[in-house]
Amino acid sequence: MLAAMSTELTFESLASAASDGPLPANTPILVLVTLYGGNDGLNTVVPFTDPVYASARSNIALTSSQLLPFTNSLAFNSSMPSISALYGQNKVAIVQGVSYPNPSLSHFSSMAVWQSASLTGVSSGWIGRWLDRQPHNAFNAIGVGSTVPPSFVGETSVASMVDVSGIQLPWGDAAKLLPRLGRASSSDGALEGAAATSIADLFATASLLGPLIPTSPTGSTIFQQLSMVATMINANVPTRVWEVNLSSFDTHSSEQSDQNSLLADVDAAIGTFMTSISAGSRANDVTVMIYSEFGRRVESNGSDGTDHGTSAPVLLIGNGVKGGLYGEAPPLNALDDNGNLVVTTDFRAIYGGLLHDVLATSVSDIIPAWNTVLSVH
Amino acid sequence: MHRFNFGPTPGQYAELLRSGVSATQSTVLEHGGADPGLDSVRPLVLADLGPYPNNDPAAETAFWKRIESDSNKLVMWWLDRMVAARSPLSERMTWFWHGHWATSISAISYPLAMMKQNNTLRRHALANFRDMTKAMVVDGAFNVWLNNDQNYIDSPNENMARELMELMTLGVNKFSQHDVTAAARALTGYSTNYSNGRVTFKAKEHYSEPLTILGSRSKFDAASLATLVVSKPQNARFIADRLWFRFVSGSSKPPVSLARSFASRDISSLVDALVRTTGWASPAHDLVKSPVEWFVGACRALRVRPSRLDSGGLQWELSQMGQFPFNPPNVGGWTYGQAWLSPVAYQYRFELAQSIVEKGDLAPLSVARSKVVQACADWLGVADWSRRTGAALAAAKSPADLALVALLSPEYMVSA
Repeated sequence: MLAAMSTELTFESLASAASDGPLPANTPILVLVTLYGGNDGLNTVVPFTDPVYASARSNIALTSSQLLPFTNSLAFNSSMPSISALYGQNKVAIVQGVSYPNPSLSHFSSMAVWQSASLTGVSSGWIGRWLDRQPHNAFNAIGVGSTVPPSFVGETSVASMVDVSGIQLPWGDAAKLLPRLGRASSSDGALEGAAATSIADLFATASLLGPLIPTSPTGSTIFQQLSMVATMINANVPTRVWEVNLSSFDTHSSEQSDQNSLLADVDAAIGTFMTSISAGSRANDVTVMIYSEFGRRVESNGSDGTDHGTSAPVLLIGNGVKGGLYGEAPPLNALDDNGNLVVTTDFRAIYGGLLHDVLATSVSDIIPAWNTVLSVH
Repeated sequence: MHRFNFGPTPGQYAELLRSGVSATQSTVLEHGGADPGLDSVRPLVLADLGPYPNNDPAAETAFWKRIESDSNKLVMWWLDRMVAARSPLSERMTWFWHGHWATSISAISYPLAMMKQNNTLRRHALANFRDMTKAMVVDGAFNVWLNNDQNYIDSPNENMARELMELMTLGVNKFSQHDVTAAARALTGYSTNYSNGRVTFKAKEHYSEPLTILGSRSKFDAASLATLVVSKPQNARFIADRLWFRFVSGSSKPPVSLARSFASRDISSLVDALVRTTGWASPAHDLVKSPVEWFVGACRALRVRPSRLDSGGLQWELSQMGQFPFNPPNVGGWTYGQAWLSPVAYQYRFELAQSIVEKGDLAPLSVARSKVVQACADWLGVADWSRRTGAALAAAKSPADLALVALLSPEYMVSA
């Protein structure tokens, strides 16, 4: 597996004199892993000795053979052996009880809050606002996939995207004319301008990133995505923020089999990613954040699943991360009015830490009026 | 034209410019009459494939093959209708409602159930929203997609109750968790036959005690719950906002008067008011075409039936661009705006444009060199090319290249 991820290619070997240089040594890199659908935090980091855990969700509670304990009272889901091992090496920070005040039980509202870092309906994304403050460069932030995540859309800039299927540039006579369509025109409205930028970014990234993408990727979708990101990071591509994502965490039914299999995919992808990064020149530069729009109800439903909930743990992983538990675990016997966990950590404190430690940016420039910083570095 | 009718067919744009604004609005709003275009698409008949053949590997393989070929027929049938329609408003609205009631075939697997839902949405597409909602709460594919077939009195599953109020009728924060719990009880007792999407009501499994939902105390079932939520004034605002957002502007708010045109929940009155909106020229009213809207528009301009294209390639390219019919990514439906404008989408947009142009009728572009730029504008219904695009069009060496450059221009990716 490791061989599949390593590459002879480096950004330097691909870059022409006219392009931007490689990422300078020791520049921190952020990798966001978005789990869409609301990942059940209680079956990810499990308070297995709490009697309420087993009684409130008897049809989906994990039992001892399905647990990898790391303290007297907490265990990882056994679908997560790699992350558990990384925790043992102090490379995983678990921030407990993370959400925001009066959390929304709506997928879309809640994900919008997380991706904008705003409780008041600001439409730009937090990484997008960081992008707005950088000199334009198609490489600053790159998402994996075809549609741009809201967190990567700023007020004036949009991140680039690449896909695990590779970059195939247009061919034929007409293709020679298409780069012209990527030029800005004074008559463009904002959206026509964004369309032109996306065309220009395709041509800007193709010759440099295209050769780094394996022609026949293997493994789960999240594995393919993180493999590609590892390859690009090791090749010194000048990208400060990456985003990969995985859907289907909305486990209203048959949660155990579905979530375990999703978590196993994430775990295998993270394990291989960290091995690959650790063997390269940027071993200490990378911080991964794994998050979802909300956790799920403490009490299970009758469909062997759980309905929408509130707070959940956020995982931060990296060789430079100070591993361990952060924040307070929300008690299972003192729930909110809807039977959901209370919130003990505001996610914006984690963003504050990442903006300060990884992106070296003033927190309140990106999240207005916010100064709380939870540092895991 | 682009927003409500999937874009013009060759010659139509110039004709509408001559006939004036009010005649154009009437043309855009036409629906329900005889349509030789739609009649030319062979009606789709799908069989009930019955239960999954357990424990018989050969039958299982055959079953999945049949599911795949029926799914493909369903998608091609609908795309062909969008392209063939002389008056496309009804198909366009069905497409909008598909995104609104965003049901994915991934949950139910059976194309017949999705076809039934599609016909339900088409039947109500420009009729009354109350009737549409009453039909959808007992739609099989919708029930399965939102786990209502697992919603029992003793063990409620609140997925459908919540999304019905949040995403389909009222909007976020317009109801309480208590309303969700009670509405979930109102929706108990409905079971779905997956293979044909038929929903049956079992009175014994239905919660028959009075419930308090949105301040009303009564016994409720699916139909009376639908009637209740649609009767709320908030429903008119919510649906008017949704249509405004998807058809007029992603960045400005609708006039307050818009919801008044939906007072009786008559969808055609609301669409009528939207079409007659003034100020289309404002940049705040620009919209990015979704991949399917862009694709259907290109097929209409080039007179290409989607079923004549390579279906595997079409499915791959649209999926890679992020939008394939009957496959919304989640119950919130497809994304919008700048999210569609990614470098990745552009590479697949090129491949798709290439395959349409190969099969397309290029006659409208076979004009004297000095007239090609204007010919492209008339052909696609683009009011003005930027200097950038005008220069690229003028440099194209053949009608096929001209068509590619025009279809792949920022001006055609956006409805200005």
